[in-house]
Amino acid sequence: MTSYWDEDEEDDGADSMVRPYTITSGRTAPERDEFTLITLLTSVQEPVDAYGAPIRPGRLQPEHRMILGRCRTPAAVAEVAADLNLPVSVTKILLGDLVEQGLLTARAPISVARAAGGADRGLLAAVREGLRRL
Amino acid sequence: MTTTQAGAAAVKILIAGGFGVGKTTLVGAVSEVAPLRTEEYLTTASVGVDDLAGVDQKTTTTVALDFGRITVSPELVVYLFGTPGQERFWFMWNDLVNGALGGVVIADTRRLESSFASIDFYESRNIPFVVAINCFHGVNTRSDDEIRAALDLDPHVPMLVGDVRERTFGRDVLLALVDHLMALPVG
Repeated sequence: MTSYWDEDEEDDGADSMVRPYTITSGRTAPERDEFTLITLLTSVQEPVDAYGAPIRPGRLQPEHRMILGRCRTPAAVAEVAADLNLPVSVTKILLGDLVEQGLLTARAPISVARAAGGADRGLLAAVREGLRRL
Repeated sequence: MTTTQAGAAAVKILIAGGFGVGKTTLVGAVSEVAPLRTEEYLTTASVGVDDLAGVDQKTTTTVALDFGRITVSPELVVYLFGTPGQERFWFMWNDLVNGALGGVVIADTRRLESSFASIDFYESRNIPFVVAINCFHGVNTRSDDEIRAALDLDPHVPMLVGDVRERTFGRDVLLALVDHLMALPVG
């Protein structure tokens, strides 16, 4: 298999000085596949480990710190990616690092799968009420 | 504006339609923030992608996405996702398509055919949708029945006519979608 990097990708990352996957130390896929575009992320204030001791963050890139700042109020993966000006897949890798370290919590989207009966009435009623105020 | 809490969760609505038909405009009209843009790399097999014929195996494409946000309550956020241009690759973006509450197709009466692919897309993915006919200048020379026939629209699919720049029209389109979802049989 030829390496991803052997291909000619002249426009890749053209608007930034750093190739996107440099920030992820060359990783191109997240360790965990838990994020969607609308997974909501919240920074953990004063994170502690299982024994109640404060967590000392491991080595963080500036982008990691930007994410923690951004997610003091809940933000979706897509919003974080837009703010960082990074592709969604790169953003997910960085988010995975922070969740792994206990610095960020992720909340999955509400399931609305048609196969499982679709969105429930309560959810639709809440969406409807919110839209009516627009 | 409502503040989102840490326990909040999100749903999404897709905004589709032909090139330049007003998707980002509609998102911007109802979103509480100016539309944001993000990108994703999609790795796609080149087979069947005509203008990449001759390229071996897989190719990586960058696709862009414009989106907005409506904070419905402290616990619930609605995200609206629209494509600024090419939808062909969007259809392969599973993370975008999976788990959508429903969709909107925006169509322009002067070139309805540019929105056929969006309707096919929702139908093939079993995503409930409504159609918004965008009349930028309030000019609509075709009857609703003509438009429905031209789009080959199922009778139960709601269709609204208006100006996507107007917040009230965008709101009405989204409300029509929610009503449509509520009217669907469960399961």
